[in-house]
Amino acid sequence: MVRPIATSTKGGNMLYIKKEGNGLIAKLRLPVVAVLAIGLVASATPSHAAQTAPKQIRILYATAEANSAAVQAALPSFKAKTGVELVMDTMPYNALQTKVFAEFAVKSSYYDVVIVDTPWSPALAQSLEPLSGYMTNASLNDLAPLDAADFIPKVFYDTAVYNVKNPSLHYPKPTAKVDPAAIKKAGFDVYGLPIQANALALAYRKDLFNDPAQKAAFKKVAGRALTVPKTLDEFAEVAEFFTQPDKKLYGTTLMAGTGDWATDDFKTLLAAFGGDGYMVGNKQELNFNSAAGVKALTYYRNLIKSGFTPPGTTSASWDEVATMFNSGLTAMTMNYHDLKLDASVAGGVIGYAKVPAGNSEGPHFGTWMLSVNKYSKNKEWGYRAAQWLTSAAQSTAMLQKGIHPARNSVYTAAGKLPDANVAAYYKTLKQALAVGAGRPRLTNYGEVDAVIFTMVNNVATGKIEPKPALAAAAVEITKLLVSAGYKVP
Amino acid sequence: MQKEVTEVDVASTTGGLKLARKNSGPALPKKHKNRNGIYWLQMSPALIILLLMTIAPAIFLITKSLTNDSLLNSTSNFVGLENYQSILTDASLIRSAKVTAIFVALVVIIEMVAGIFFAQFLHKKTRANSLAGALLIIPFAVAPAVSAMVFRELLNPNYGWVNYFMGLLGLPDQIDWLGNSFTAWVALIGLDVWQWTPFVTLILIAGMSSLPAEPLEAASVDGANGWQIFRHISFRLLAPFIGIALVLRTIQAFKTFDSFLILTGGGPGDSTSPLNLEIYRVALQSFRVGYASSMAIILLAAISVLTPLLLRILGRATQNEEV
Repeated sequence: MVRPIATSTKGGNMLYIKKEGNGLIAKLRLPVVAVLAIGLVASATPSHAAQTAPKQIRILYATAEANSAAVQAALPSFKAKTGVELVMDTMPYNALQTKVFAEFAVKSSYYDVVIVDTPWSPALAQSLEPLSGYMTNASLNDLAPLDAADFIPKVFYDTAVYNVKNPSLHYPKPTAKVDPAAIKKAGFDVYGLPIQANALALAYRKDLFNDPAQKAAFKKVAGRALTVPKTLDEFAEVAEFFTQPDKKLYGTTLMAGTGDWATDDFKTLLAAFGGDGYMVGNKQELNFNSAAGVKALTYYRNLIKSGFTPPGTTSASWDEVATMFNSGLTAMTMNYHDLKLDASVAGGVIGYAKVPAGNSEGPHFGTWMLSVNKYSKNKEWGYRAAQWLTSAAQSTAMLQKGIHPARNSVYTAAGKLPDANVAAYYKTLKQALAVGAGRPRLTNYGEVDAVIFTMVNNVATGKIEPKPALAAAAVEITKLLVSAGYKVP
Repeated sequence: MQKEVTEVDVASTTGGLKLARKNSGPALPKKHKNRNGIYWLQMSPALIILLLMTIAPAIFLITKSLTNDSLLNSTSNFVGLENYQSILTDASLIRSAKVTAIFVALVVIIEMVAGIFFAQFLHKKTRANSLAGALLIIPFAVAPAVSAMVFRELLNPNYGWVNYFMGLLGLPDQIDWLGNSFTAWVALIGLDVWQWTPFVTLILIAGMSSLPAEPLEAASVDGANGWQIFRHISFRLLAPFIGIALVLRTIQAFKTFDSFLILTGGGPGDSTSPLNLEIYRVALQSFRVGYASSMAIILLAAISVLTPLLLRILGRATQNEEV
């Protein structure tokens, strides 16, 4: 016979024990009561404090895309401080994306902390633990000060703040100081803590720009001093000036190959020409199909058509343009990370600046965040690990390994780095992050992105004119958005 | 009368292969029936593995293809043939299907012709040919992703060896191989031909080594020239080996993915974007599993229809030769 011998206090779960005889019940009664008593005491204390320290916290992370080396170096300190080991698995981008989605699709609790890239967040928000409650609980922020207001607002809101009922929405006050309570009050929540912030920045050959012969030649041609371009017109003019194919030198690189990078180039120019750098609005308005879009694509195509970019531009990715610039093939480039000239480029020095603006600006940016798996059994410790890894102290330590921080105070520290080239890069990165434009929040962004970069590539290769290309892309994207359940105005 | 399946040793005509054929003979005695049961028992581990590894996933794929299943949504609804209807009317997917078909046709034809050509020279047992045979393994022993990455570097218009050596030979040395549709196709086909022609060659070398010498010598004595001997005797005798190479390469070519993804990324534009790349994007970037399953089923159906068709065409061609 089976009968209930006790009920737990939470949820009325019944504890069943097969009745073997009165003696057994009597033997079991004392330990069961003791266990229940412990349970009662535990349930009376705050739930955050209740979780005992696990042996390990498992983290799923990217590779070089999010600077795994910097994070890996910090892991032993966490164990030394808490006794909890942080075990980190790393995967390259495509494999990581598949793994992350598969983990959440089966509601796996294996990983406690997962790195999330911004294009994935709208689709994943429902599987991520909302963190505003954790952020406001002092007992969970004991390993390092949270100091949420230290995060660069634009980066934080674009990366981590979502309205889970409508993940397409961006936070309405993207420049407000970060305050978890205010976020919660506005109907949003925090779904991760930013760890690696990437933005498109301009790198240029400082030695060429400072060369008296080049300065004089430019003055003669352009009638003005040779300066680092701040506007799109100046950028085209300087690119033309430096283009000397016979000397294996070109003005600039562009990432016009078929891939996400071409979309990033386009959206940066779209914002610079006064368009919406996010391309698709909160209500799925196709803002890229506009006069600014035509201007952006025309400008882009003309730079390539005029020969101011090296051969191979229409098949180049971010990696290949870095190689082009590092080998001294171009005077300028735009990329997501700092660069280092090859030893063969004698006397070469790199300078950094924001990407040129038009009547407005919005360089592409995108940030990785550490999120807590909603299905994890160690959510509180997962949060503590993520909070500690993204703290100002750890981010500052990670500067040595080249992390791209998301905190203002860390950029202040970066300004004092002994390597002037690296310090200059961080200064520019912070400026770019403060004004950057992220990606539209769409659950099927990958497919939309593919349409955009195919369109950009087609225009770059001269296969189609900008205006019809944009119109055709709008038709295709409308179809994709509708199939994903969106209503397109 | 009940038709029974018996094994017939046709080793003399098929190089040792045992084929099963339908025979309208008398019913087998009980002893044979028991033996059949033992055969089934002995085959059962392999059959179970086959069932688990191929048939069950195929059934799962077909089931998924009739749903709007997505990794991003917990809900999954039966949508009937809606996915198929959408795919067959999607202009970009039809373009991708054309890219796949053109690629398969071109690489298989080139590789078969080149494979037969090289096998003619390399099948004779000499030291040089033994060395060549060993070297032939290298291209298809390299992982396709690695060879695609190497090709991408070789074709780099600024630092690549291809343009450099073309320049030395006085040829155009500023070709943006992957930035132009035609040259991107040349690069893709070049990579595939480099990688897989040796595979075809090795199969045909094995075939040629097993050909009986008498008919060839007899034809030679009768005054047939090299081309006539090849066309009327070697080719006919080689037909089973050509068939194997043709079918394997066709199936492999349909499955090509890495070189498209790494070498061209489907570009310029979408001019080199095959169905496999589209399936990858839908399944593993948008996670629309139902829709991607439908695309995969269509590809599977195309291969399943084409393979026996190719064998029948080849069989008919060699029969005509016999006539």
